[in-house]
Amino acid sequence: MHLALIDWIIIIVYLVGCMAAGIWMRRFVRGVEDFAIAGRAMDLNLGIASLAATELGLVTVMYTAQLGYTKGFAGATIGVLMAIAMYSVGRTGFVIGPLRRAGVMTIPELFEKRFGIKVRWLAGLFIVMGGVLNMGIFLRLGGEFLVSATGMPAAWLEWVMTILLSMILLYTVLGGMLSVLVTDYIQFIVKGAGIVVTSILVIWSFGWGNLVDGLWHCWDGGAAGAAQTLKAHPFNPLHESNFGWGYVLWQLIFQIACVTTWQTQIARVLSARDEATAKKMYRRTAFYFVGRFALPGLWGAAALVYFSQHGGLPAELQGLPENQASLRATPAYLGILLPTGFIGLLLAAALAAEMSTDSGYLLTWATVIYNDLISPCVKKPLSPAMRLFITRGLVLAIGVFLLFYGLWYEMPGNAWDYLAVTGNIYLASVFTLLVAGLYWPRATSKGAYAALVLGAVGPITFLVWNLLVVKAQHLGLHPAATPSVVQEWLMHFNQWWPKAKAINPEAAGASSFGLAFAGMIVGSLLSRAPQKTATEKTP
Amino acid sequence: MNLYLIFWTVMIFASIAWYGFLIFYVGFKGGREIGVMTKELGSRPNAEKKS
Repeated sequence: MHLALIDWIIIIVYLVGCMAAGIWMRRFVRGVEDFAIAGRAMDLNLGIASLAATELGLVTVMYTAQLGYTKGFAGATIGVLMAIAMYSVGRTGFVIGPLRRAGVMTIPELFEKRFGIKVRWLAGLFIVMGGVLNMGIFLRLGGEFLVSATGMPAAWLEWVMTILLSMILLYTVLGGMLSVLVTDYIQFIVKGAGIVVTSILVIWSFGWGNLVDGLWHCWDGGAAGAAQTLKAHPFNPLHESNFGWGYVLWQLIFQIACVTTWQTQIARVLSARDEATAKKMYRRTAFYFVGRFALPGLWGAAALVYFSQHGGLPAELQGLPENQASLRATPAYLGILLPTGFIGLLLAAALAAEMSTDSGYLLTWATVIYNDLISPCVKKPLSPAMRLFITRGLVLAIGVFLLFYGLWYEMPGNAWDYLAVTGNIYLASVFTLLVAGLYWPRATSKGAYAALVLGAVGPITFLVWNLLVVKAQHLGLHPAATPSVVQEWLMHFNQWWPKAKAINPEAAGASSFGLAFAGMIVGSLLSRAPQKTATEKTP
Repeated sequence: MNLYLIFWTVMIFASIAWYGFLIFYVGFKGGREIGVMTKELGSRPNAEKKS
Protein backbone atom coordinates (compact mmCIF):
# COMPACT_ATOMS: atom_id res chain seq x y z
CA MET A 1 0.00 0.00 0.00
CA HIS A 2 1.38 3.45 -0.85
CA LEU A 3 -0.40 5.72 1.61
CA ALA A 4 1.69 8.35 3.37
CA LEU A 5 0.84 10.16 6.62
CA ILE A 6 -0.77 13.06 4.77
CA ASP A 7 -3.05 10.63 2.90
CA TRP A 8 -4.20 9.08 6.17
CA ILE A 9 -4.82 12.50 7.71
CA ILE A 10 -7.03 13.53 4.77
CA ILE A 11 -9.02 10.29 4.95
CA ILE A 12 -9.48 10.37 8.74
CA VAL A 13 -10.48 14.06 8.82
CA TYR A 14 -13.09 13.38 6.13
CA LEU A 15 -14.48 10.30 7.86
CA VAL A 16 -14.68 11.88 11.31
CA GLY A 17 -16.28 15.08 9.96
CA CYS A 18 -18.80 13.20 7.89
CA MET A 19 -19.80 10.73 10.58
CA ALA A 20 -20.10 13.48 13.21
CA ALA A 21 -22.32 15.61 10.95
CA GLY A 22 -24.50 12.61 10.07
CA ILE A 23 -24.98 11.52 13.67
CA TRP A 24 -25.59 15.11 14.82
CA MET A 25 -28.65 15.39 12.56
CA ARG A 26 -30.35 12.62 14.50
CA ARG A 27 -31.63 15.19 17.01
CA PHE A 28 -34.00 16.69 14.42
CA VAL A 29 -35.75 13.45 13.49
CA ARG A 30 -39.28 13.44 14.95
CA GLY A 31 -41.11 11.05 12.69
CA VAL A 32 -41.12 9.12 9.41
CA GLU A 33 -41.66 12.29 7.36
CA ASP A 34 -38.45 13.82 8.75
CA PHE A 35 -36.66 10.50 8.37
CA ALA A 36 -37.77 9.84 4.77
CA ILE A 37 -38.11 13.26 3.14
CA ALA A 38 -36.39 15.65 5.58
CA GLY A 39 -39.70 17.27 6.53
CA ARG A 40 -39.82 18.75 2.98
CA ALA A 41 -37.43 21.45 4.15
CA MET A 42 -34.75 21.01 1.47
CA ASP A 43 -33.76 24.11 -0.48
CA LEU A 44 -32.23 24.49 -3.95
CA ASN A 45 -28.47 24.24 -3.41
CA LEU A 46 -28.68 21.53 -0.80
CA GLY A 47 -30.92 19.70 -3.27
CA ILE A 48 -28.33 20.07 -6.04
CA ALA A 49 -25.58 18.77 -3.74
CA SER A 50 -27.70 15.85 -2.55
CA LEU A 51 -28.98 14.86 -5.99
CA ALA A 52 -25.52 15.06 -7.54
CA ALA A 53 -23.87 13.25 -4.61
CA THR A 54 -26.38 10.41 -4.52
CA GLU A 55 -26.28 9.79 -8.24
CA LEU A 56 -22.48 9.86 -8.47
CA GLY A 57 -21.34 6.93 -6.42
CA LEU A 58 -18.20 4.87 -6.48
CA VAL A 59 -20.15 2.33 -8.49
CA THR A 60 -20.81 5.12 -11.03
CA VAL A 61 -17.12 5.92 -11.20
CA MET A 62 -16.37 2.23 -11.74
CA TYR A 63 -18.82 1.63 -14.57
CA THR A 64 -18.29 4.98 -16.31
CA ALA A 65 -14.52 4.42 -16.16
CA GLN A 66 -15.14 0.94 -17.57
CA LEU A 67 -17.10 2.53 -20.42
CA GLY A 68 -14.15 4.89 -21.04
CA TYR A 69 -11.77 1.93 -21.01
CA THR A 70 -13.84 -0.12 -23.47
CA LYS A 71 -15.45 2.62 -25.62
CA GLY A 72 -13.16 5.64 -25.34
CA PHE A 73 -14.61 9.14 -24.86
CA ALA A 74 -17.76 8.01 -26.71
CA GLY A 75 -18.61 5.98 -23.59
CA ALA A 76 -19.78 9.28 -22.05
CA THR A 77 -22.64 9.57 -24.56
CA ILE A 78 -25.03 8.22 -21.93
CA GLY A 79 -24.14 11.16 -19.68
CA VAL A 80 -24.96 13.63 -22.45
CA LEU A 81 -28.34 11.91 -23.00
CA MET A 82 -29.01 12.01 -19.27
CA ALA A 83 -28.20 15.73 -19.12
CA ILE A 84 -30.60 16.40 -22.01
CA ALA A 85 -33.31 14.40 -20.23
CA MET A 86 -32.72 16.18 -16.88
CA TYR A 87 -32.79 19.65 -18.43
CA SER A 88 -35.92 18.94 -20.50
CA VAL A 89 -37.79 17.56 -17.48
CA GLY A 90 -36.61 20.47 -15.31
CA ARG A 91 -37.77 22.95 -17.96
CA THR A 92 -41.21 21.40 -18.64
CA GLY A 93 -41.96 19.84 -15.25
CA PHE A 94 -42.94 16.63 -17.07
CA VAL A 95 -44.05 14.12 -14.39
CA ILE A 96 -42.05 15.76 -11.55
CA GLY A 97 -44.37 18.80 -11.43
CA PRO A 98 -47.63 16.94 -10.71
CA LEU A 99 -45.74 14.44 -8.56
CA ARG A 100 -44.47 17.15 -6.22
CA ARG A 101 -47.86 18.88 -6.17
CA ALA A 102 -49.52 15.62 -5.11
CA GLY A 103 -47.69 15.82 -1.75
CA VAL A 104 -46.87 12.11 -1.66
CA MET A 105 -43.83 10.48 -0.02
CA THR A 106 -43.18 7.85 -2.72
CA ILE A 107 -44.27 7.19 -6.32
CA PRO A 108 -46.58 4.21 -5.52
CA GLU A 109 -48.51 6.42 -3.09
CA LEU A 110 -49.62 8.44 -6.11
CA PHE A 111 -50.79 5.26 -7.85
CA GLU A 112 -53.21 4.55 -5.02
CA LYS A 113 -55.03 7.79 -5.78
CA ARG A 114 -55.30 6.89 -9.46
CA PHE A 115 -55.42 3.09 -9.69
CA GLY A 116 -56.24 1.80 -6.19
CA ILE A 117 -54.33 0.33 -3.28
CA LYS A 118 -53.48 -3.01 -4.92
CA VAL A 119 -51.65 -1.31 -7.77
CA ARG A 120 -49.79 0.77 -5.20
CA TRP A 121 -48.68 -2.38 -3.41
CA LEU A 122 -47.63 -4.19 -6.58
CA ALA A 123 -45.78 -1.16 -7.92
CA GLY A 124 -44.02 -0.86 -4.55
CA LEU A 125 -42.95 -4.48 -4.81
CA PHE A 126 -41.52 -3.97 -8.31
CA ILE A 127 -39.73 -0.79 -7.28
CA VAL A 128 -38.11 -2.48 -4.32
CA MET A 129 -37.18 -5.58 -6.31
CA GLY A 130 -35.57 -3.62 -9.15
CA GLY A 131 -34.02 -1.05 -6.82
CA VAL A 132 -32.45 -3.44 -4.33
CA LEU A 133 -31.14 -5.76 -7.06
CA ASN A 134 -29.73 -2.72 -8.82
CA MET A 135 -28.01 -1.63 -5.65
CA GLY A 136 -26.74 -5.16 -5.03
CA ILE A 137 -23.41 -4.62 -6.77
CA PHE A 138 -22.65 -1.16 -5.33
CA LEU A 139 -20.84 -2.33 -2.26
CA ARG A 140 -18.73 -4.88 -4.06
CA LEU A 141 -17.68 -2.51 -6.83
CA GLY A 142 -16.90 0.17 -4.26
CA GLY A 143 -14.79 -2.28 -2.27
CA GLU A 144 -12.99 -3.39 -5.44
CA PHE A 145 -12.14 0.21 -6.30
CA LEU A 146 -10.67 0.86 -2.86
CA VAL A 147 -8.72 -2.40 -2.82
CA SER A 148 -7.33 -1.87 -6.35
CA ALA A 149 -6.46 1.81 -5.85
CA THR A 150 -4.63 1.28 -2.56
CA GLY A 151 -2.97 -1.98 -3.57
CA MET A 152 -4.51 -3.84 -0.58
CA PRO A 153 -4.51 -7.65 -0.79
CA ALA A 154 -7.60 -8.95 -2.62
CA ALA A 155 -8.53 -11.02 0.45
CA TRP A 156 -9.32 -7.80 2.33
CA LEU A 157 -12.25 -7.01 0.03
CA GLU A 158 -14.89 -8.50 2.35
CA TRP A 159 -13.55 -6.55 5.32
CA VAL A 160 -13.44 -3.31 3.35
CA MET A 161 -17.07 -3.88 2.29
CA THR A 162 -18.19 -4.65 5.84
CA ILE A 163 -16.48 -1.65 7.44
CA LEU A 164 -17.80 0.68 4.75
CA LEU A 165 -21.33 -0.57 5.18
CA SER A 166 -21.19 -0.29 8.98
CA MET A 167 -20.21 3.37 8.79
CA ILE A 168 -22.94 4.16 6.28
CA LEU A 169 -25.58 2.31 8.28
CA LEU A 170 -24.67 4.10 11.49
CA TYR A 171 -25.64 7.57 10.37
CA THR A 172 -28.39 6.54 7.93
CA VAL A 173 -30.24 4.49 10.53
CA LEU A 174 -29.97 7.28 13.09
CA GLY A 175 -30.68 10.39 11.04
CA GLY A 176 -32.42 9.21 7.86
CA MET A 177 -32.80 11.79 5.08
CA LEU A 178 -31.66 14.65 7.32
CA SER A 179 -28.31 12.92 7.88
CA VAL A 180 -28.16 11.92 4.24
CA LEU A 181 -28.65 15.54 3.10
CA VAL A 182 -25.93 16.94 5.34
CA THR A 183 -23.44 14.16 4.64
CA ASP A 184 -24.28 14.41 0.92
CA TYR A 185 -23.32 18.08 1.09
CA ILE A 186 -19.90 17.27 2.59
CA GLN A 187 -19.45 14.35 0.21
CA PHE A 188 -20.40 16.50 -2.79
CA ILE A 189 -17.57 18.92 -2.00
CA VAL A 190 -14.97 16.24 -1.19
CA LYS A 191 -15.68 14.13 -4.23
CA GLY A 192 -15.98 17.18 -6.51
CA ALA A 193 -12.49 18.26 -5.41
CA GLY A 194 -11.17 14.71 -5.91
CA ILE A 195 -12.67 14.43 -9.40
CA VAL A 196 -11.39 17.82 -10.57
CA VAL A 197 -7.86 17.28 -9.24
CA THR A 198 -7.64 13.71 -10.59
CA SER A 199 -8.89 14.76 -14.04
CA ILE A 200 -6.38 17.59 -14.24
CA LEU A 201 -3.55 15.24 -13.19
CA VAL A 202 -4.59 12.65 -15.79
CA ILE A 203 -4.55 15.25 -18.59
CA TRP A 204 -1.35 16.81 -17.24
CA SER A 205 0.49 13.49 -17.10
CA PHE A 206 -0.31 12.57 -20.71
CA GLY A 207 -0.78 15.87 -22.47
CA TRP A 208 -4.12 16.16 -24.27
CA GLY A 209 -2.64 15.56 -27.73
CA ASN A 210 -0.77 12.44 -26.63
CA LEU A 211 -3.84 11.01 -24.94
CA VAL A 212 -5.95 11.50 -28.06
CA ASP A 213 -3.22 10.03 -30.30
CA GLY A 214 -2.89 7.10 -27.92
CA LEU A 215 -6.62 6.41 -28.18
CA TRP A 216 -6.47 6.47 -31.98
CA HIS A 217 -3.57 4.01 -31.88
CA CYS A 218 -5.42 1.71 -29.48
CA TRP A 219 -8.34 1.73 -31.92
CA ASP A 220 -6.53 1.33 -35.25
CA GLY A 221 -3.51 -0.60 -33.94
CA GLY A 222 -1.39 2.06 -35.65
CA ALA A 223 1.49 2.19 -33.17
CA ALA A 224 4.48 0.06 -34.12
CA GLY A 225 4.21 -3.34 -32.49
CA ALA A 226 0.86 -2.54 -30.81
CA ALA A 227 -2.26 -4.58 -31.47
CA GLN A 228 -5.82 -3.20 -31.49
CA THR A 229 -6.55 -2.85 -27.77
CA LEU A 230 -9.75 -0.82 -28.23
CA LYS A 231 -12.54 -2.62 -30.06
CA ALA A 232 -14.88 0.40 -30.29
CA HIS A 233 -14.41 3.72 -32.11
CA PRO A 234 -13.10 6.02 -29.35
CA PHE A 235 -15.03 9.17 -30.32
CA ASN A 236 -18.05 8.23 -32.45
CA PRO A 237 -20.87 6.64 -30.42
CA LEU A 238 -22.93 5.97 -33.54
CA HIS A 239 -20.19 3.91 -35.19
CA GLU A 240 -21.17 0.25 -35.60
CA SER A 241 -18.26 -0.81 -33.36
CA ASN A 242 -19.46 1.50 -30.56
CA PHE A 243 -23.01 1.93 -29.17
CA GLY A 244 -24.72 2.35 -32.55
CA TRP A 245 -28.06 4.07 -33.25
CA GLY A 246 -30.25 1.42 -31.62
CA TYR A 247 -28.50 1.59 -28.27
CA VAL A 248 -28.37 5.40 -28.27
CA LEU A 249 -32.11 5.67 -28.97
CA TRP A 250 -32.91 3.12 -26.26
CA GLN A 251 -30.73 5.07 -23.82
CA LEU A 252 -32.55 8.32 -24.61
CA ILE A 253 -35.89 6.76 -23.67
CA PHE A 254 -34.29 5.03 -20.70
CA GLN A 255 -32.82 8.30 -19.38
CA ILE A 256 -36.15 10.15 -19.67
CA ALA A 257 -37.75 7.32 -17.71
CA CYS A 258 -34.89 7.36 -15.25
CA VAL A 259 -35.03 11.05 -14.35
CA THR A 260 -38.81 10.98 -13.93
CA THR A 261 -39.14 7.62 -12.20
CA TRP A 262 -35.96 6.62 -10.38
CA GLN A 263 -37.04 6.70 -6.76
CA THR A 264 -33.73 8.04 -5.37
CA GLN A 265 -33.96 11.06 -7.70
CA ILE A 266 -37.66 11.48 -7.06
CA ALA A 267 -36.99 11.39 -3.29
CA ARG A 268 -35.13 14.73 -3.78
CA VAL A 269 -38.06 16.12 -5.79
CA LEU A 270 -40.42 15.13 -2.97
CA SER A 271 -38.08 16.55 -0.30
CA ALA A 272 -37.90 19.93 -2.07
CA ARG A 273 -39.72 22.91 -0.59
CA ASP A 274 -41.98 23.28 -3.64
CA GLU A 275 -42.39 22.44 -7.31
CA ALA A 276 -40.37 25.44 -8.54
CA THR A 277 -37.41 24.41 -6.37
CA ALA A 278 -37.59 20.84 -7.68
CA LYS A 279 -37.62 21.97 -11.33
CA LYS A 280 -34.78 24.42 -10.83
CA MET A 281 -32.77 21.70 -9.06
CA TYR A 282 -33.12 19.48 -12.15
CA ARG A 283 -32.09 22.22 -14.58
CA ARG A 284 -29.03 23.22 -12.59
CA THR A 285 -27.88 19.64 -11.99
CA ALA A 286 -28.28 18.60 -15.66
CA PHE A 287 -24.76 19.36 -16.87
CA TYR A 288 -23.27 17.66 -13.80
CA PHE A 289 -24.40 14.39 -15.37
CA VAL A 290 -22.17 14.93 -18.42
CA GLY A 291 -19.14 15.05 -16.12
CA ARG A 292 -20.47 12.07 -14.20
CA PHE A 293 -19.71 9.98 -17.30
CA ALA A 294 -17.08 12.08 -19.10
CA LEU A 295 -14.54 12.53 -16.27
CA PRO A 296 -14.29 8.95 -14.96
CA GLY A 297 -14.54 7.98 -18.67
CA LEU A 298 -11.47 10.15 -19.26
CA TRP A 299 -9.61 8.23 -16.52
CA GLY A 300 -10.68 4.91 -18.05
CA ALA A 301 -9.51 5.95 -21.52
CA ALA A 302 -6.21 7.15 -20.03
CA ALA A 303 -5.80 3.82 -18.20
CA LEU A 304 -6.21 1.97 -21.50
CA VAL A 305 -3.61 4.12 -23.27
CA TYR A 306 -1.23 3.91 -20.31
CA PHE A 307 -1.31 0.12 -20.03
CA SER A 308 -1.16 -0.35 -23.80
CA GLN A 309 2.06 1.72 -23.79
CA HIS A 310 3.56 0.04 -20.70
CA GLY A 311 3.53 -3.66 -21.52
CA GLY A 312 -0.12 -4.44 -20.74
CA LEU A 313 -2.17 -4.74 -17.57
CA PRO A 314 -0.49 -5.26 -14.17
CA ALA A 315 0.18 -8.90 -13.21
CA GLU A 316 -2.74 -9.09 -10.72
CA LEU A 317 -5.25 -8.14 -13.44
CA GLN A 318 -3.95 -10.50 -16.09
CA GLY A 319 -5.94 -13.70 -16.45
CA LEU A 320 -9.13 -12.10 -15.10
CA PRO A 321 -12.29 -12.29 -17.25
CA GLU A 322 -12.45 -9.35 -19.66
CA ASN A 323 -15.24 -7.50 -17.83
CA GLN A 324 -13.42 -7.80 -14.49
CA ALA A 325 -10.09 -6.62 -15.91
CA SER A 326 -11.70 -3.59 -17.60
CA LEU A 327 -13.46 -2.75 -14.34
CA ARG A 328 -10.30 -2.80 -12.22
CA ALA A 329 -7.89 -1.25 -14.72
CA THR A 330 -8.76 2.37 -13.86
CA PRO A 331 -8.27 2.17 -10.08
CA ALA A 332 -5.01 0.29 -10.68
CA TYR A 333 -3.88 3.08 -13.06
CA LEU A 334 -4.86 5.84 -10.61
CA GLY A 335 -2.94 4.05 -7.87
CA ILE A 336 0.17 4.31 -10.08
CA LEU A 337 -0.46 7.87 -11.30
CA LEU A 338 -1.39 9.81 -8.19
CA PRO A 339 1.36 11.16 -5.90
CA THR A 340 1.32 11.27 -2.09
CA GLY A 341 -1.43 13.54 -0.79
CA PHE A 342 -3.47 13.17 -3.94
CA ILE A 343 -4.11 9.48 -3.35
CA GLY A 344 -5.52 10.48 0.06
CA LEU A 345 -7.80 13.00 -1.60
CA LEU A 346 -8.87 10.44 -4.20
CA LEU A 347 -9.64 7.86 -1.50
CA ALA A 348 -11.57 10.40 0.58
CA ALA A 349 -13.50 11.28 -2.60
CA ALA A 350 -14.06 7.59 -3.33
CA LEU A 351 -15.34 6.99 0.20
CA ALA A 352 -17.58 10.06 -0.13
CA ALA A 353 -18.97 8.76 -3.40
CA GLU A 354 -19.68 5.32 -1.99
CA MET A 355 -21.20 6.60 1.24
CA SER A 356 -23.46 9.21 -0.33
CA THR A 357 -24.92 6.78 -2.85
CA ASP A 358 -25.36 3.86 -0.50
CA SER A 359 -26.99 5.93 2.23
CA GLY A 360 -29.40 7.60 -0.21
CA TYR A 361 -30.35 4.30 -1.81
CA LEU A 362 -30.72 2.41 1.48
CA LEU A 363 -33.04 5.07 2.78
CA THR A 364 -35.10 5.26 -0.39
CA TRP A 365 -35.82 1.54 -0.70
CA ALA A 366 -36.53 1.21 3.02
CA THR A 367 -39.02 4.08 2.74
CA VAL A 368 -40.81 2.39 -0.17
CA ILE A 369 -40.97 -0.95 1.70
CA TYR A 370 -42.46 0.74 4.75
CA ASN A 371 -44.71 3.22 2.98
CA ASP A 372 -46.05 1.06 0.16
CA LEU A 373 -45.66 -2.59 1.18
CA ILE A 374 -46.09 -2.65 4.97
CA SER A 375 -48.21 0.40 5.68
CA PRO A 376 -51.17 -0.54 3.38
CA CYS A 377 -51.35 -3.99 5.06
CA VAL A 378 -51.54 -2.60 8.61
CA LYS A 379 -55.15 -2.16 9.73
CA LYS A 380 -54.53 -0.25 12.96
CA PRO A 381 -52.39 2.91 12.60
CA LEU A 382 -48.97 2.46 14.18
CA SER A 383 -47.49 4.97 16.59
CA PRO A 384 -44.92 7.42 15.10
CA ALA A 385 -42.19 5.78 17.20
CA MET A 386 -43.07 2.32 15.87
CA ARG A 387 -43.14 3.57 12.26
CA LEU A 388 -39.74 5.09 12.73
CA PHE A 389 -38.44 1.93 14.36
CA ILE A 390 -39.66 -0.24 11.45
CA THR A 391 -38.16 2.07 8.81
CA ARG A 392 -34.82 2.08 10.62
CA GLY A 393 -34.96 -1.72 10.89
CA LEU A 394 -35.57 -1.93 7.14
CA VAL A 395 -32.52 0.21 6.37
CA LEU A 396 -30.46 -2.20 8.47
CA ALA A 397 -31.98 -5.29 6.83
CA ILE A 398 -31.28 -4.01 3.29
CA GLY A 399 -27.70 -3.29 4.37
CA VAL A 400 -27.21 -6.88 5.50
CA PHE A 401 -28.75 -8.16 2.27
CA LEU A 402 -26.34 -6.02 0.24
CA LEU A 403 -23.34 -7.45 2.02
CA PHE A 404 -24.28 -11.04 1.20
CA TYR A 405 -25.57 -10.34 -2.31
CA GLY A 406 -22.40 -8.38 -3.13
CA LEU A 407 -20.25 -11.32 -2.07
CA TRP A 408 -22.28 -13.91 -3.96
CA TYR A 409 -23.40 -12.43 -7.26
CA GLU A 410 -21.14 -12.55 -10.30
CA MET A 411 -21.93 -10.09 -13.05
CA PRO A 412 -22.29 -11.75 -16.45
CA GLY A 413 -21.47 -8.61 -18.49
CA ASN A 414 -20.37 -5.05 -17.87
CA ALA A 415 -21.58 -3.15 -14.84
CA TRP A 416 -23.56 -0.51 -16.73
CA ASP A 417 -25.67 -3.11 -18.53
CA TYR A 418 -26.41 -4.87 -15.25
CA LEU A 419 -27.52 -1.57 -13.66
CA ALA A 420 -29.60 -0.54 -16.66
CA VAL A 421 -31.38 -3.88 -16.87
CA THR A 422 -32.09 -4.32 -13.15
CA GLY A 423 -33.33 -0.73 -13.01
CA ASN A 424 -35.54 -1.53 -15.96
CA ILE A 425 -37.42 -4.16 -13.91
CA TYR A 426 -39.44 -1.29 -12.60
CA LEU A 427 -38.46 1.72 -14.71
CA ALA A 428 -40.39 0.65 -17.80
CA SER A 429 -43.58 -0.29 -15.98
CA VAL A 430 -43.59 2.50 -13.37
CA PHE A 431 -42.76 5.11 -16.02
CA THR A 432 -45.70 3.84 -18.04
CA LEU A 433 -47.99 4.02 -15.00
CA LEU A 434 -46.83 7.53 -14.16
CA VAL A 435 -47.26 8.89 -17.66
CA ALA A 436 -50.61 7.18 -18.20
CA GLY A 437 -51.84 7.96 -14.68
CA LEU A 438 -50.98 11.64 -14.95
CA TYR A 439 -51.71 12.35 -18.61
CA TRP A 440 -54.18 9.74 -19.95
CA PRO A 441 -57.64 9.90 -18.35
CA ARG A 442 -58.65 6.59 -19.99
CA ALA A 443 -55.95 4.58 -18.10
CA THR A 444 -57.42 1.94 -15.77
CA SER A 445 -56.16 -0.30 -12.98
CA LYS A 446 -56.33 -3.34 -15.32
CA GLY A 447 -54.02 -1.53 -17.72
CA ALA A 448 -51.75 -0.73 -14.76
CA TYR A 449 -51.50 -4.41 -13.75
CA ALA A 450 -50.71 -5.42 -17.33
CA ALA A 451 -48.02 -2.73 -17.63
CA LEU A 452 -46.39 -3.72 -14.33
CA VAL A 453 -46.16 -7.39 -15.17
CA LEU A 454 -45.22 -7.07 -18.84
CA GLY A 455 -42.64 -4.35 -18.16
CA ALA A 456 -40.76 -6.63 -15.78
CA VAL A 457 -40.74 -9.70 -18.03
CA GLY A 458 -37.93 -8.53 -20.36
CA PRO A 459 -35.36 -7.51 -17.72
CA ILE A 460 -36.03 -10.50 -15.43
CA THR A 461 -35.65 -12.90 -18.38
CA PHE A 462 -32.39 -11.15 -19.28
CA LEU A 463 -31.00 -11.45 -15.75
CA VAL A 464 -31.91 -15.09 -15.23
CA TRP A 465 -31.00 -16.25 -18.73
CA ASN A 466 -27.64 -14.46 -18.88
CA LEU A 467 -26.64 -15.68 -15.44
CA LEU A 468 -27.58 -19.21 -16.48
CA VAL A 469 -25.60 -19.04 -19.73
CA VAL A 470 -22.48 -17.54 -18.12
CA LYS A 471 -22.42 -20.04 -15.24
CA ALA A 472 -23.12 -23.01 -17.54
CA GLN A 473 -20.37 -22.00 -19.96
CA HIS A 474 -17.92 -21.45 -17.11
CA LEU A 475 -18.68 -24.92 -15.73
CA GLY A 476 -18.29 -26.31 -19.25
CA LEU A 477 -14.74 -24.96 -19.36
CA HIS A 478 -13.88 -25.68 -15.72
CA PRO A 479 -16.02 -28.61 -14.51
CA ALA A 480 -16.42 -28.90 -10.74
CA ALA A 481 -14.74 -31.97 -9.18
CA THR A 482 -17.68 -32.70 -6.84
CA PRO A 483 -20.56 -30.77 -8.41
CA SER A 484 -23.70 -29.79 -6.49
CA VAL A 485 -27.16 -30.59 -7.93
CA VAL A 486 -27.39 -27.11 -9.48
CA GLN A 487 -23.89 -27.35 -10.94
CA GLU A 488 -24.69 -30.77 -12.41
CA TRP A 489 -27.82 -29.36 -14.01
CA LEU A 490 -25.84 -26.42 -15.40
CA MET A 491 -23.23 -28.79 -16.86
CA HIS A 492 -26.02 -30.78 -18.56
CA PHE A 493 -27.48 -27.51 -19.86
CA ASN A 494 -24.12 -26.62 -21.39
CA GLN A 495 -23.94 -30.02 -23.10
CA TRP A 496 -27.48 -29.76 -24.49
CA TRP A 497 -27.06 -26.18 -25.62
CA PRO A 498 -23.36 -25.33 -25.98
CA LYS A 499 -24.02 -22.37 -28.29
CA ALA A 500 -26.59 -20.66 -26.05
CA LYS A 501 -26.06 -16.90 -26.28
CA ALA A 502 -26.61 -14.09 -23.79
CA ILE A 503 -29.48 -11.66 -24.54
CA ASN A 504 -28.50 -8.24 -25.82
CA PRO A 505 -29.20 -5.58 -23.09
CA GLU A 506 -30.78 -3.08 -25.47
CA ALA A 507 -33.18 -5.75 -26.74
CA ALA A 508 -34.19 -6.61 -23.15
CA GLY A 509 -34.52 -2.94 -22.23
CA ALA A 510 -36.40 -1.72 -25.29
CA SER A 511 -38.78 -4.68 -25.25
CA SER A 512 -39.72 -3.99 -21.63
CA PHE A 513 -40.78 -0.42 -22.51
CA GLY A 514 -42.73 -1.63 -25.54
CA LEU A 515 -44.45 -4.37 -23.53
CA ALA A 516 -45.32 -2.05 -20.64
CA PHE A 517 -46.93 0.57 -22.89
CA ALA A 518 -48.73 -2.11 -24.91
CA GLY A 519 -50.03 -3.64 -21.65
CA MET A 520 -51.29 -0.29 -20.40
CA ILE A 521 -53.04 0.61 -23.65
CA VAL A 522 -54.61 -2.79 -24.34
CA GLY A 523 -55.51 -3.46 -20.69
CA SER A 524 -57.14 -0.03 -20.32
CA LEU A 525 -59.08 -0.18 -23.57
CA LEU A 526 -60.39 -3.67 -22.77
CA SER A 527 -61.68 -2.59 -19.35
CA ARG A 528 -64.34 -0.10 -18.32
CA ALA A 529 -63.35 3.56 -18.44
CA PRO A 530 -62.71 4.99 -14.97
CA GLN A 531 -65.09 7.49 -13.43
CA LYS A 532 -63.73 11.02 -13.39
CA THR A 533 -62.14 12.09 -10.10
CA ALA A 534 -60.34 15.20 -8.99
CA THR A 535 -56.90 13.58 -9.33
CA GLU A 536 -57.54 12.49 -12.89
CA LYS A 537 -58.19 16.05 -13.90
CA THR A 538 -54.79 17.11 -12.58
CA PRO A 539 -52.20 16.64 -15.32
CA MET B 1 -9.83 17.63 -36.59
CA ASN B 2 -12.63 15.11 -36.10
CA LEU B 3 -15.98 16.74 -35.12
CA TYR B 4 -16.65 14.09 -32.52
CA LEU B 5 -13.25 14.72 -30.98
CA ILE B 6 -13.97 18.47 -30.77
CA PHE B 7 -17.28 17.69 -29.09
CA TRP B 8 -15.70 15.45 -26.44
CA THR B 9 -12.85 17.89 -25.85
CA VAL B 10 -15.39 20.64 -25.11
CA MET B 11 -17.49 18.33 -22.90
CA ILE B 12 -14.52 17.16 -20.81
CA PHE B 13 -12.96 20.58 -20.22
CA ALA B 14 -16.38 22.18 -19.59
CA SER B 15 -17.16 19.44 -17.06
CA ILE B 16 -13.93 20.10 -15.16
CA ALA B 17 -14.72 23.82 -15.10
CA TRP B 18 -18.35 23.22 -14.04
CA TYR B 19 -17.40 20.83 -11.24
CA GLY B 20 -14.79 23.33 -10.01
CA PHE B 21 -17.35 26.14 -10.01
CA LEU B 22 -20.01 24.08 -8.21
CA ILE B 23 -17.65 23.11 -5.38
CA PHE B 24 -17.44 26.78 -4.35
CA TYR B 25 -20.91 27.97 -5.37
CA VAL B 26 -22.93 25.08 -3.93
CA GLY B 27 -20.42 24.75 -1.09
CA PHE B 28 -21.16 28.32 0.03
CA LYS B 29 -24.91 28.43 -0.60
CA GLY B 30 -25.62 24.85 0.50
CA GLY B 31 -23.83 25.48 3.80
CA ARG B 32 -26.10 28.44 4.48
CA GLU B 33 -29.17 26.37 3.61
CA ILE B 34 -28.18 23.70 6.13
CA GLY B 35 -28.06 26.42 8.77
CA VAL B 36 -31.55 27.65 7.86
CA MET B 37 -32.96 24.11 7.67
CA THR B 38 -31.64 23.03 11.06
CA LYS B 39 -32.87 26.28 12.63
CA GLU B 40 -36.35 25.69 11.20
CA LEU B 41 -36.45 22.05 12.24
CA GLY B 42 -35.17 22.86 15.72
CA SER B 43 -37.73 25.61 16.30
CA ARG B 44 -40.82 23.51 15.59
CA PRO B 45 -43.36 23.56 18.42
CA ASN B 46 -43.43 20.48 20.66
CA ALA B 47 -46.89 19.36 19.54
CA GLU B 48 -45.68 19.18 15.95
CA LYS B 49 -42.49 17.43 16.99
CA LYS B 50 -44.44 14.61 18.51
CA SER B 51 -46.83 14.15 15.58
